Amino acid sequence: MSTLEKLTEVMREVFEDDELVVSRSTSAREVAAWDSVMHVTLMISLERAFGVRFKSGNVAGLKNVGELADLIDRLKAGG
Amino acid sequence: MTRAQALIAYVAEHHPRSSRGLEEARAVNPEAWDGVAEQFLSWAEGVWGPDGWQARCVEAFVVFSNDVIMSQARYEADGHYESSSFEACNAAVYSQREVMDDYLWGVFITNFCWSHHMELSLFFRDRFLARLPGAPAIVEIAPGHGGWGVWALSNRADARLQGFDISPSSIAIASSIAAAAGVGSRATYTLRNALDLATMPTASADAVICSFLIEHLEDPGLLVANIANLLKPGARAYLAGAITAAQVDHIYEFRHESELVAICEAHGLRVCETLSVHPRRFLPRARFLPRSMGLILEKRG
Repeated sequence: MSTLEKLTEVMREVFEDDELVVSRSTSAREVAAWDSVMHVTLMISLERAFGVRFKSGNVAGLKNVGELADLIDRLKAGG
Repeated sequence: MTRAQALIAYVAEHHPRSSRGLEEARAVNPEAWDGVAEQFLSWAEGVWGPDGWQARCVEAFVVFSNDVIMSQARYEADGHYESSSFEACNAAVYSQREVMDDYLWGVFITNFCWSHHMELSLFFRDRFLARLPGAPAIVEIAPGHGGWGVWALSNRADARLQGFDISPSSIAIASSIAAAAGVGSRATYTLRNALDLATMPTASADAVICSFLIEHLEDPGLLVANIANLLKPGARAYLAGAITAAQVDHIYEFRHESELVAICEAHGLRVCETLSVHPRRFLPRARFLPRSMGLILEKRG
């Protein structure tokens, strides 16, 4: 399963929307419930799902799902 | 476009996840919010210039807010604050210029961009500042960004203020904001540990401001004793603290409002008024309600 596919699974669970379709360009503008609180909830869920640990400063400014997926891949690679 | 409108537009364009929180803060009292935001942002513009203040303030605010929510999520998982040592926080945060600069500008913006802190700001302005005596000598303990004390000086042209903070960043930022607000000649900021009772004046202050320091300490009683020591008999203090509200440098975990009240009463202060506020939105399935509490205190004669 690719990072984007697994990320989509987690996002569907966090935002309680089984129909949610996610691409690299998806941002908070397209997901109504994606506010600052749910952003952190998503980050915590992604930490568990991917076995990574985010630094707050790295996730506050993420613009879209693509940037998030790239960050996860970097952390998984030990970057 | 006003500065407040420019701030809302900047957040909507660059950080749409934060727009909802801004709307909630303004909804507390739209007219008051427009006024408070404009006043605080005019000082920020005075410091950063007409082209720089939006990015500087909003980016710091977004990172700071994310840090706070992240800390709260980890607190929910662990059941306790992540820090327990003031010295460790001092080494990692307060003495680090770059970290503190972002931190303090972020906190500065929360005064009106977090809904519950907007409520607390109005409590401070309407219930504390409005009732200060004539020509008050104000002491601000740990002014941080300095916004609270500068607000006092802006509202009261007859007031003077002395601020004490252990962070060089605080001294620099508070001084720059006071200058931008045009009250710099009435404000003096000194690099000093305000908890060192032996170096602080006794019974000299007509008012003390101490906003969100108490939860950063290992021994909050020492701070309250210091506030009581500074105040003239019958003079008033404004104290704000956090309750089950985590941050990377929060140490003392107040669980209930009564703990803050009791610690003040135990040190010769009468609790005149309190306000406990909380955010409009919480982490899903949270067990803790993060609160901020303001207390107006009076030194018993």
